[in-house]
Amino acid sequence: MSLSSKHLLGIRNLTKEDISLILQTATQFKEVLQRPIKKVPSLRDITIVNLFFENSTRTRISFELAEKRLSADTISFSASSSSVSKGETLLDTVNNILSMKVDMVVMRHSASGAPHFLAQHIPAAIINAGDGINEHPTQALLDAFSILEKTGGLEGKKIAIIGDIMHSRVAQSNIYLLKKMGAEVVVCGPPTLIPKYITEALGVQVEYDIKKTLEWCDVANVLRIQLERQNQVLFSSLREYNLAYGITRRLLDSLSKEIVIMHPGPINRGVEIDSDVADGNQSIILQQVENGVAVRMAVLYLLADRGQ
Amino acid sequence: MKILIRQARIVDPNSPHNGLVKDLFIENGFIQSIDDRIEKEADKIVEADNLHLSPGWMDVFANFADPGYEFKETLETGAMAALHGGYTDVMLIPNTQPIVHNKSGIEYLVQKGRSLPVNVHPIGAVTKNTKGDELAEMYDMKASGAIAFSDGTQSIQSAGLLLKALQYIKTFKGVVIQLPDDQSINPQGLMNEGIISTQLGLPGKPAMSEEIVIDRDIKLTRYTDSRIHFTGVSSERSLEYIKKAKKAGLNVSCSVTPNHLFFCDEDLETYDSNLKLNPPLRTKKDREALQKALRDSVIDCIATHHLPQERDSKLVEFEYAKYGTIGLETAFAVINTAMPGENPETWVRILSLNPRKIFGLPDLLIAASQPACLTAFDPQKNWVVELKDIKSRSKNSPYLQKTLTGKVVATINKNQLFINQ
Repeated sequence: MSLSSKHLLGIRNLTKEDISLILQTATQFKEVLQRPIKKVPSLRDITIVNLFFENSTRTRISFELAEKRLSADTISFSASSSSVSKGETLLDTVNNILSMKVDMVVMRHSASGAPHFLAQHIPAAIINAGDGINEHPTQALLDAFSILEKTGGLEGKKIAIIGDIMHSRVAQSNIYLLKKMGAEVVVCGPPTLIPKYITEALGVQVEYDIKKTLEWCDVANVLRIQLERQNQVLFSSLREYNLAYGITRRLLDSLSKEIVIMHPGPINRGVEIDSDVADGNQSIILQQVENGVAVRMAVLYLLADRGQ
Repeated sequence: MKILIRQARIVDPNSPHNGLVKDLFIENGFIQSIDDRIEKEADKIVEADNLHLSPGWMDVFANFADPGYEFKETLETGAMAALHGGYTDVMLIPNTQPIVHNKSGIEYLVQKGRSLPVNVHPIGAVTKNTKGDELAEMYDMKASGAIAFSDGTQSIQSAGLLLKALQYIKTFKGVVIQLPDDQSINPQGLMNEGIISTQLGLPGKPAMSEEIVIDRDIKLTRYTDSRIHFTGVSSERSLEYIKKAKKAGLNVSCSVTPNHLFFCDEDLETYDSNLKLNPPLRTKKDREALQKALRDSVIDCIATHHLPQERDSKLVEFEYAKYGTIGLETAFAVINTAMPGENPETWVRILSLNPRKIFGLPDLLIAASQPACLTAFDPQKNWVVELKDIKSRSKNSPYLQKTLTGKVVATINKNQLFINQ
């Protein structure tokens, strides 16, 4: 079995079968990660470059670990220490790296569509590790994997995505994936942070009331408020955001059922989520991180195309 | 020079020969005779199947990037691109370096224009350096040959300033050309805000930011009793405002780009930077409304928005790519392909008669002893847009390798003949 696409540019371009295949493969790799020797030779002699044109800790480490566990040769590069600051174009940077015989590119970039642009001009397989406000496919896959693990299924599950939907590639990829797999999705946040056409475009419902949303859902995926967007008049203050949309213990205790809490990280404690919720027993935030490695191993393995 | 045009259908509602197939004999830049059959010695003969002949076409919004950005386009390469597309007259926007915002800027273009095979008509800036805060010397520019006033690709933001500009130009019967866009609404928007932008994860710019400015500027035009032309109108609701203003007898006119009649936001699926336009491509429904408005004369003319950009400025991530496409060479074929079966007279009206009238150029007439300023075209010919055939210095065209219907056969102007191979 193999994926329908040569690249992982986004969930939008994947089929339901692709998603199932990645999640199944990830289950096998998660088992590998429980062994005393966590390394397999699957990608020996494959060279992967991790191009991070935007800051990242979690995703970059997760990809690097996944690559190392698969025995790939890896090089990592972040924009601040690269030739990009000297004004080199993306295409030049990548072509220079590829001329040193690199097989796969993992890229994070601040511009939406950057990996799609690259895919039209270079021969290597590309994995999107986040492009602008567009997609972050491996995050959606690891979120789905975590929901599956925790609740046993995706079909018919009620998932709420809460916070800055407008600027979130995590929300976008999650919505594409969950809808493809038959889940119901509600997005909740202040109207300034929710795209006007989201219902028509992505088939999700919009809710502005946090209490109602939490009461409805089985799983709440709480997004990070991007502090760097504070100057865009999207909400008046972090304090007010916390008052209106912050997930607090009291709020959770007031619900008629116990829901699962997720967060893609990094967390702004006391803004979108309170510490006692993030660290509480309903939270699977650290399991998400753990599953990230297995899911990325699955993606890399399936895209490496070893002629099997 | 003596030119013989064989068996061309004359499309010129003002001409006594309108709708008839005739031979034309041109000598020293003038139409010498028009007859069923002319047997005379000529230096050049224009002959083709299905030949149609129109008064020379005129574009109202193009950038030849000269002076300052000669690596994108020069007056010479721009003129060749214009001829290739059937244009004998081109209005040049002031977004050069330096900006055309004073007499010497206008004079440079007028002076250099004399030796070009097309007629170039400089548009002077409304505000100094197109910064939008101080009026430029429009009176002086008008006297030097400015055809109209506009900040070009910069939309004039301040209502108060535009009000003054509209009043100011009344003394010399000027026209302000506005590219309507409220820049305070989603300034980071890269495409039309809608279903497609949401699906593609690209920041959107709502059609409303265009409509607000059109609505406001119509009010300013009414108040000042002056003249305004909106270029590159792209949304259905904008057309409603314009239609209403025209009905009320205001001096409002507008143009649309060929791109907005041909493409829509769904074509951005591949993040093609050649489709990064300002105003952005709107929805399918908007495109249909634009086509209808063109047929119904709500839209007066075609503005190519010919914006040459060098390869490197387009071969980057969508967000970083510069705006615009070249458009002069494909304009006719694009609109003719987008709206198949349209009466050629519609094209002549919007490509030649209307723009000349709006911007005050003398009427052209296909009749004996008139100047030979002509565009010959075949509305049925299919052709493929090839990179090697592009005359513009920049090649940023979204039509490369596309098959279009309708081709310019020849352009005649200033006693010169340009034959399209």
